[in-house]
Amino acid sequence: MADEINNSFDSTPVVLLIDDSKFVHRILGARLRSESISLIGEPDGKAGYERAVADQPELILLDLDMPVMDGYETLRVLKEDPKTRDIPVIVLSGMDSSQDKVMAFDLGAVDFVTKPFELTELRARVRSSLKMSTLLRMLAQKAKIDGLSGLYNRAYFDERLQEEYDRAIRHGHSMSIAMIDLDEFKSINDTYGHPAGDMVISGIASVIQQECRSIDVACRYGGEEFVLIMPETNPEQAFTLCNRIRERCAQMSWSQHPNRAVTLSVGVVGADDGSTISCTPQAWVEMSDRNLYQAKQSGRNRVIASSVDGTSIQVAKAG
Amino acid sequence: MTAPDPNAYSLDINDPEDAELIEYFLGELPDRVQAIATAVSSNDIDELKRITHQLKGAAPGFGFPAIGSAAGEIEGQIRDLDETVESCDSIRAQVDGLISLCQSYISPSS
Repeated sequence: MADEINNSFDSTPVVLLIDDSKFVHRILGARLRSESISLIGEPDGKAGYERAVADQPELILLDLDMPVMDGYETLRVLKEDPKTRDIPVIVLSGMDSSQDKVMAFDLGAVDFVTKPFELTELRARVRSSLKMSTLLRMLAQKAKIDGLSGLYNRAYFDERLQEEYDRAIRHGHSMSIAMIDLDEFKSINDTYGHPAGDMVISGIASVIQQECRSIDVACRYGGEEFVLIMPETNPEQAFTLCNRIRERCAQMSWSQHPNRAVTLSVGVVGADDGSTISCTPQAWVEMSDRNLYQAKQSGRNRVIASSVDGTSIQVAKAG
Repeated sequence: MTAPDPNAYSLDINDPEDAELIEYFLGELPDRVQAIATAVSSNDIDELKRITHQLKGAAPGFGFPAIGSAAGEIEGQIRDLDETVESCDSIRAQVDGLISLCQSYISPSS
């Protein structure tokens, strides 16, 4: 989840050097030592590509002139694979014809450095590419994270819902969706102010995040509403998970309003076998919303779960 | 191809990092000289091109721009050779020049 993505910005960036010359490995090893990077190396394109898939470096320095699989071919393979496509590549070459440079840029290289290296220039280019890649990753992450709750945002939910729905159908896996809404949230804002309301949103979000497993996708749906996608989870299991979230939230104490608990209502709809699903993902979300509405109507602070075909309704409520 | 600025590739033997690189390069050089000699005597033009290409790119960074230039000239001549040429005879003089240049660094007495 969001925490895992954040951690990757703190560690020393890994830079992968792919070059068939031992000399180049040696000289860059020495000359980039003062940079705060961790340099790893491979002697040919095939090993370099495999290492990039496995180690996910922040930057690749790629020699063009290698026997067997040359730099162009390696670059093509790296840019075709979604697992390595977004890793920036600086091409290193003994040739400096415009044709070589244009071809490297066309294939997706971010920069081109000629051998023999001018070291201050190479260091500056490495630094600039690393900075750019960090910013791009931060942007990509920001684009899918909700700022207040730290959960995924609505746009990301829509995208992920379709993916998980397709996956459940393809593999015949179970899957569940839960709509979660805070009870009488408006009165918290009205009585204690919006900063207190914001603390409730982020506090509840962190409980949701703690209770969810790594495969679950927790999103802020809007306002005081959250949505969970629970892949490979049948309605009974989803019910148990959501009821645990409900119980923990009801027991939380709030520094700004110690006498006012915050409860939530949940509507769960799940499928035991993805291959039998006949509704659209949108209809599935609407069904979860109807269960949520029922939970609200019948007294709040409860979870109502049903199967996607409409049967086997489970209810848990306070007290 | 722009000629490398010789001043950009001067290493300082008193700097520990530079000294380590110079030592490494000189340690590797006898093997490369041997490989060049073997490639020429067996008319292995591809191998000769590979070694000289690597030396051209690497030697200046280790403080040996002269070796880089000499290797680069040979690589250029090989590139200009007719593809059907199967002998190294036409470039033997340049190769001998590169080998003796390298040997002058390997054995400081000369």
